[in-house]
Amino acid sequence: MGTATGIIKALNSGIKHIAIKRFTLRYPEEKLKFAGDGYQFDPSTGVGIAGLKGRHMLFHDHCTGCQLCSIACEGVAEAIAMVKVPDQQTQNKKSIMPQIDYGKCVFCGLCVDACPFYALYMTNDYELSSFSKEGLIYTPAQLAVKPYVAQDSEIKITDRGATHG
Amino acid sequence: MTAELPPGLALQKVDERIMTLNVGPQHPGSGHMRIIVQIDGDFIVACDPDPGYVHRGEEKMAEYRNYITNIPHLERPVIHDSCNVLYPYVLGAEELLGIEVPERAKYIRVIASELNRCIYTMYWLAIYGIFLGHSTMFMWPAGDREFLIDLMEKMSGARVTHAHFVPGGVRNDLPPNFEDVCLRQVNYFEKRIKEYGAVFYDNPILISRTEKTGVLSRQDAIRLGTTGSVLRASGVDYDLRKKEPYDVYDELDFQTNVLKEGDSYARSKVPWLDMMESCRIIRHALEKMPKSGSVRVKLKPNPKGAIDSVYKRVESGRGSLGCYIVSDKKPEPYRVKLSVGSFRNLIALPYLLKGEKLGNMPSVYWSLNYWPVEADR
Repeated sequence: MGTATGIIKALNSGIKHIAIKRFTLRYPEEKLKFAGDGYQFDPSTGVGIAGLKGRHMLFHDHCTGCQLCSIACEGVAEAIAMVKVPDQQTQNKKSIMPQIDYGKCVFCGLCVDACPFYALYMTNDYELSSFSKEGLIYTPAQLAVKPYVAQDSEIKITDRGATHG
Repeated sequence: MTAELPPGLALQKVDERIMTLNVGPQHPGSGHMRIIVQIDGDFIVACDPDPGYVHRGEEKMAEYRNYITNIPHLERPVIHDSCNVLYPYVLGAEELLGIEVPERAKYIRVIASELNRCIYTMYWLAIYGIFLGHSTMFMWPAGDREFLIDLMEKMSGARVTHAHFVPGGVRNDLPPNFEDVCLRQVNYFEKRIKEYGAVFYDNPILISRTEKTGVLSRQDAIRLGTTGSVLRASGVDYDLRKKEPYDVYDELDFQTNVLKEGDSYARSKVPWLDMMESCRIIRHALEKMPKSGSVRVKLKPNPKGAIDSVYKRVESGRGSLGCYIVSDKKPEPYRVKLSVGSFRNLIALPYLLKGEKLGNMPSVYWSLNYWPVEADR
């Protein structure tokens, strides 16, 4: 193949892309759709349920304050601290619950695997940026709130190329 | 000057022509690594790669964490290829803890590691394009990676650093409808990477830049102990997935790609051909995978290994990647040693660069499939 033919072929392959649909995701306006409702774990079978490993969600009525999540995090990120909570739960004698520092968390989900009481799950919430370091520390009350996550686009493959439809 | 020098000291003769140049450690042409080159005009006389800038002590850290909490930090050396980096550790830990992995988990692992190999190679290819001043070749792979990253996100819940493999299987089962989505996106991905042929690999400008530069002969490739795509580009058919099959690679249908030239062009082409084989492996694995079943063996908390040592290796995106674990019946391993492909391939750099032009240095260096963070560990 001659040099000129090769260059024309290369240019031609690029020019074809003018007619192809745009693949770029326009992030703040469009947001990706995820497979499930966040990463969860079933202690009875020992297998997790697929989903995005985002911000945690804590169920106050299940948490016993056993600190297993905090122990699991010890060798990984040391992001979980056990703090006193004002509300009295019957199963939680010591009234302590995890508080998570998202400045340290690596979103590995080993704390969710460690919880035997179905109290700690992960959600699809990934927009956690904050103007201060203190804003990244989520108290048990903040973790109990179920986040609203907009999910409107996923990868669509058509004859005219792939797009985030 | 006639003053006597103290014994043991000698003055070095200053060469008028040779100039020493530090490329890196924070340079777009070297990654996080310094390459000390001595140049005579435009030609490289000698080259001394100086790794170690991003040393993080992963091996020492592994001695203070148990077999499970080691997982998130041991995959940090190569975040794009995190499943493959973790693979030998997980295989070794399974042997030490005496676990038999379910069949379905083995297939999921193979699919995840092949997806990761493609993700890594696409990133590597994007940087290779940038090094050669080919900005289309940066944009396309960086965009097309998204199909596979999306699959990994659905599968494991994270775009990079998945922490998906554990001793005893994988963390979670596949989401519903994953097989169809995976097949569709992998097929489209394969169609896309075939287009790179016209724009990059058959492009006469690229060929004139990379052909016959940094030629590594077959004998040298074996003598210097290079692995992976560097070895296969020099005409040695050596792929651990074929030679020492782990998990279910012996049941899958694929071939290895071997080129004879041993120059930068061949070294950059082998990973591209490997990606197409990876697509074949993924399709075949999806077909043969058991449709249901367990994916993880339930472990005791803080499992203790037997008094033994084990060495396992896998074929990563950069070549053979080994993990040596010594256990002394404690929850933590006594020693974890990673033997990485990047560091072995780096040995070839001083041989390849001697006599090359300085402008060819980035392309020869990056064609060695070198990842600074992995080599420094």
